[in-house]
Amino acid sequence: MITSNKTEADRTDRNLAARCRRGEMPAFEELYRRHSGRLYNVACRMTGSAADAEDLLQDVFLQVYRRIDSYRGEAALGTWLYRLAVNACLDHLRSHEGRQQKATDFIEDVEGLEPAANPSWQPDRALDRLDLESAISRLPPRYRAAFVLHDVEGHTHDEVADMLGIEEGTSKSLLHKARLRLRAFLGGGPADDAGRPAAAATGTGADRRRGER
Amino acid sequence: MDTRRPTALACERMAPLVDDLVDDRLDQAAREPLESHLAGCESCRRMADDLREIRRSARTLPTHAPRPEVWARIAHQLAAPTPASPRTFWTGARVALAMAAVMVVSVVTSVVVLRGPRLSPQPTRPAQTGPAQATAAAVHPSGSDTVKDVGEYLRIADANYQQAITGLETIVATEQAVLDPAVAATLQKNMGIIDQAIRESRTAIASQPASQLAQTSLFDALRQKVALLEDTIALINVMRKGDQAGAARIIGGVIKS
Repeated sequence: MITSNKTEADRTDRNLAARCRRGEMPAFEELYRRHSGRLYNVACRMTGSAADAEDLLQDVFLQVYRRIDSYRGEAALGTWLYRLAVNACLDHLRSHEGRQQKATDFIEDVEGLEPAANPSWQPDRALDRLDLESAISRLPPRYRAAFVLHDVEGHTHDEVADMLGIEEGTSKSLLHKARLRLRAFLGGGPADDAGRPAAAATGTGADRRRGER
Repeated sequence: MDTRRPTALACERMAPLVDDLVDDRLDQAAREPLESHLAGCESCRRMADDLREIRRSARTLPTHAPRPEVWARIAHQLAAPTPASPRTFWTGARVALAMAAVMVVSVVTSVVVLRGPRLSPQPTRPAQTGPAQATAAAVHPSGSDTVKDVGEYLRIADANYQQAITGLETIVATEQAVLDPAVAATLQKNMGIIDQAIRESRTAIASQPASQLAQTSLFDALRQKVALLEDTIALINVMRKGDQAGAARIIGGVIKS
């Protein structure tokens, strides 16, 4: 049933794309209606700002309108749109690297990372939504993209790989590191990409709450 | 206590596979040795549990929608003369009109309640004409649902909003001296943003008269403007009464919005 729905959605998208190529504005508006929500959510979580996400959404759809001729249907239209959106987000984050990003955002080694000041995640209890949102916003951009697309949006690794223009194995690796980094930010575990306790590696207390258990 | 040492090698092997386990991508044969390791290794078990919880929480994060004016801004930037099908537009237009009618009634009622009979005649006018006409539009026989008809009805709804807004603006203009200058400046700034959205929506509608999203954007912006004016009047009223707590509450809401 899911496959059938997906096939039907793909067919609708292809028809819309064909109509957009002919310059039909109602088709473009329908395309926006179908996809803007999901792209906006990705942009919100990638940039951490509703205003930036709206600006990026606008830019992406203007780009879509101008580049729809270059979409040849080799990938699902949704994948193509995600690719444009994620690339726009990554470009945006790169261009704001100096003034907006926290120092840790582009560090891809993990020593010395500390959990959030007052993480409320307690063992065996559900994560606080705001803590998780905040931790996601601290991930390096590529980790964040992989995590948002796979864990939040529910895409498979081959879809994520297609959207990010990377190998499937790289997508898996980024997601693994992102999850471990989030766990460390949330005070739930070691700040080591290999899963080793940070305390053992650095002598600091990133795993202190676990140690207290 | 030290449950890791006997299985240290297994822990190293466990790390790269934990995601496959958490994401349920392993068959029974591949899963069994990992689960057996987890049963004896508290550290790896915690990690798997935590990653499962992170994944579960991520899937339940709330979704958000972009504001309607984003489409208006996009449409504003695109030169697209191709008209849309009238019938496609009609369903959405009816919804917009019904919302407009409800909003105008709500605006006028609020103003009457807030200001009492002295100021009611001015904004009451749109209530007498607007909802009646807008409702008539919403139930207009589908046999004549052309763009021309819809455009006419939307213009009426728009005019009713404008009339209500003018009434509210008159009240604000004559009474706003009681507001703190900093608060008044913030309100003015917010109003400028909303006015910009209204202008962009109108431009988008001018280039694509049948755009449902552009119409939604316009009415959304008009509704926001009415809400802000209502908040301003409510603030003026509580300031007059010296209700600082009430004023702080309203200001908090206005700034947050």
